[in-house]
Amino acid sequence: MSIEVMTLLFFGSLLFFLLLGLPLAFVLGGVSVVFLYFTWGFDSFYMVVSQIWGTMESFTLVAIPLFVFMAMILERTGVARDLYRMMYLWFGGLRGGLAIGTLGICAVFAAMVGISGAAVVAMGAIALPSMLSRGYDKQMALGVINTGGGWGVLIPPSILMILYALITGVSVGKMFAAGVMPGIMLMVLTTLYIVVRCALQPDLAPALPKEDRASWPEKFRALRSVLLPISVVGMVLGSIMGGLTTPTEAAAMGVLGALISAAVYGEFKWSVLNEAAIRTLKLTGLTMWILFSAHAFSSAYQSMGAQALIESIMAMIPGGAWGTIIAMMVIIFFLGMVLDPVGIMMITLPVFIPIITALGFDPIWFGILFVINMEIGYKTPPFGFNLFYLKGVVPPSVTMNDIYKSIIPFVLVEIVGIILIMIFPEIATWLPELLF
Amino acid sequence: MSVVSAFMKGVTRLNEYVGRCIALIVFPMFVFLILEVALRYFFNSPSVWTNELTQLLFGVYAVMSGGYIMAHRGHVNVDLLHSTLKLRAQGFVDIFTSILFFIFMLALVWFSFDMASESFESRETSFSAWNPPIWPAKGAIFVASVLMLLQGIVRLLEDIAIAFNLSYYDPTERKSHSEEGEA
Amino acid sequence: EKTYTWKVQSHWPGSSSSYQDSLGRLKDVIEERSEGRIKLQLFEAGAMFKATETFNAVSRGILEMGTISPGYAQDKMTLAGIASGLPFAFRNVWEAAYFHQNMGFEQMLRDEAAKSGVYWATDKVYPTEMVTSKPINSWEDFTGLKIRSSGALQKFLTEAGASASYIPGSELYTALDSGIVDGAHWGAAQGAASMGLYDVAKYHVQPALNIAGTDVIIVSQKALDKLPEDLQQVVKQALDEQFWIRTNQYLYKERIALAKAVADQGVEVNVMPDDVQQKLAQTAQGMWDEEAKRSDEAKKALSLLKQFLGELGYL
Ligand SMILES: NC(=[NH2+])NCCC[C@H](N)C(=O)O
Ligand code: NA
Ligand code: NA
Repeated sequence: MSIEVMTLLFFGSLLFFLLLGLPLAFVLGGVSVVFLYFTWGFDSFYMVVSQIWGTMESFTLVAIPLFVFMAMILERTGVARDLYRMMYLWFGGLRGGLAIGTLGICAVFAAMVGISGAAVVAMGAIALPSMLSRGYDKQMALGVINTGGGWGVLIPPSILMILYALITGVSVGKMFAAGVMPGIMLMVLTTLYIVVRCALQPDLAPALPKEDRASWPEKFRALRSVLLPISVVGMVLGSIMGGLTTPTEAAAMGVLGALISAAVYGEFKWSVLNEAAIRTLKLTGLTMWILFSAHAFSSAYQSMGAQALIESIMAMIPGGAWGTIIAMMVIIFFLGMVLDPVGIMMITLPVFIPIITALGFDPIWFGILFVINMEIGYKTPPFGFNLFYLKGVVPPSVTMNDIYKSIIPFVLVEIVGIILIMIFPEIATWLPELLF
Repeated sequence: MSVVSAFMKGVTRLNEYVGRCIALIVFPMFVFLILEVALRYFFNSPSVWTNELTQLLFGVYAVMSGGYIMAHRGHVNVDLLHSTLKLRAQGFVDIFTSILFFIFMLALVWFSFDMASESFESRETSFSAWNPPIWPAKGAIFVASVLMLLQGIVRLLEDIAIAFNLSYYDPTERKSHSEEGEA
Repeated sequence: EKTYTWKVQSHWPGSSSSYQDSLGRLKDVIEERSEGRIKLQLFEAGAMFKATETFNAVSRGILEMGTISPGYAQDKMTLAGIASGLPFAFRNVWEAAYFHQNMGFEQMLRDEAAKSGVYWATDKVYPTEMVTSKPINSWEDFTGLKIRSSGALQKFLTEAGASASYIPGSELYTALDSGIVDGAHWGAAQGAASMGLYDVAKYHVQPALNIAGTDVIIVSQKALDKLPEDLQQVVKQALDEQFWIRTNQYLYKERIALAKAVADQGVEVNVMPDDVQQKLAQTAQGMWDEEAKRSDEAKKALSLLKQFLGELGYL
């Protein structure tokens, strides 16, 4: 059977069983096993278990339970609630103020972690209830978290950039440097979108009524509540930048900070910690089981010859350097809808990079386009880690449909971002050239 | 039928208990990472075991969470179509899709046993500088798969009861249960 | 005529020079000499199996071929510790090559791997050298270092008095950059350059920590047996000559990579002082005997090695 037909059947059955409501982890795992059987035989199921073991051994993932635990403690002890109260007092008068504040927190979180899962889960647990309880539109709130949570892979440190550097041979440091400005740009663009959209449709993110707005003394008193979160952030970021810890170990510093905050709030109690630990297991476990199966799924797809498919598609693209780049972006976008980023990198980069360098493009610049596109893939339906992680934290009243719909405008904003970086490559290349 | 309900309750309780124990692993993971930072930074003597032990604990933690999450129906699915169906129709659809679940689980149980027993027979260690045994961590994949398989059977029994209006399971239980464990 | 398609899982990422130079070469040679009857389908590191799982997959016959480091097969290969390189044993690459091919060590490895249904062929022997952000000009300099290491070398460096810790490859650059560690080894010059380590660590330390057959090509015996006799010979001969071609070529590229790092990135070659070298060698020799305890073969290999090094006047 040709790889084209296989691809259709493979992703067709993924969609079919997803729509029938079987949990994602089992769909990915089951489809992998069935296809492995027909392409490679019974013994190849070993690959599925082997991928699980490989994922269990991945050190960067250790950060997930710790960052989630940190967030759960901050949430359970009321630290997070007070932070949002403060934001509301200060920015409540601004339409969409909480959404923009959430984006800011996401950006800070992104500077602490190199993966997207921890941030989405943490912000979903903390920010979503705060926004919903203040009358924010469901989809606005979901979209903000989906998009901001994904910045973890765009703003350094970033595990996707490290992988990109490993596969393509560019410098990790240059990739990190190149990600800073585009990250800031996306933050500005997304903020602009929120401001404009909320100006046009005030009910999406209601401003605090004039008579409810806090007085200045009240505002300043509320400011005390940011001290703890800021010192947690300071501990994490400071320990990374000061050469005290690796990014993964920094997650443990985050927990330490959260525990100290809990003590300050008088909430350092076994009941609180135990409950936080149990929620952490649920949230980490569901992300990890999706990862286990997703890794099995993309290695199964690769073993079927996915790379050959990309090669033959690229051979059909008519000439023209920009035509090629755009075609690549479109391919990655579509793959991003159905496959995990690591799998996409393994399948496409070996084909793309020689072409990119032959055309005379800067692989660092291309890497940034690639990573932003991956970040979009994290939240495009039907398969996107951020979508599923978010679904794991939201209350039952939020359906997958709400989450799917919420991302549309935010994806468009990011596509605008990609186009801007294509037109003005300096956005990505300026900083690395300055530093190296 | 009481045997069936007893089995269902027993498995669910087992997974609940295992989950509550596994959840505590986050504490030692935190402690070991902090300890390593302290040893390296303040005493200039990094240890050979903290990071690796944390890693092994993490693996066990992640894989063993599966059954507990299933017991709470916490594995994420796409409810787009599913939620529009009547309860009995959902039951039938779930019975059908469970085929794929069981294929996955049987493959996991079979090959994780294979991997774990191979590892156990040679008392496999990691051959790092610390060189701990790693067969217990590989064994955890097998244990976790079995726990998930059992919970999957419970789920299938629930779905059958819903689809065919059988009395050994009361679907209203599910509602209250899944709301109480909101995560 | 029947064609055979082999899936080959690499432990090198595609950007690593060895991916093209070793696997790319092997693919070309085998496909050409078999007149297209054997096809190699190459997969980059981690695509289907993680490096630590590749030996198992080849042993089970799920994969026909793969590349590993001996360290990834420690569990099945009691000789792996010696094959991955005892610290401060060989002083020149040719010595390691001679030991493998002329003193029978390669055959010993092959025999042991055969017990797991694997045909073992060392891809090349080469040095593992450190890069550091501070020079080593005294024993105190050395013991003051925090070094990223792994496996047996981590034990060795710790034993010798430095602070060696394991940090995964993906966090290595950041760790060196922010000063969590002051040194690391990732292959030698080419490896360091490929990870961008010279951006953040300007001293290339010599002599080598070890010289060894760190890259290995493994073939499933099942897959080999399925080939007709003539094709089996094509594969085996291609592997035999691969060792010499790659060992030599790798040395050449090492030299170039180091020269480039010195010229373009201001890297300095830091030869450790004699007394430091001597102390390191002493510590190393004290640890060698550990490896002999793993099996009779390992014991035999170690005494062969000691005899060889004795002849060279190193012991
Ligand atoms: N040629 C290479 N790039 N080799 C990489 C060797 C990596 C090995 N883990 C080390 O610690 O040194
Ligand atoms: Na980040
Ligand atoms: Na997607």
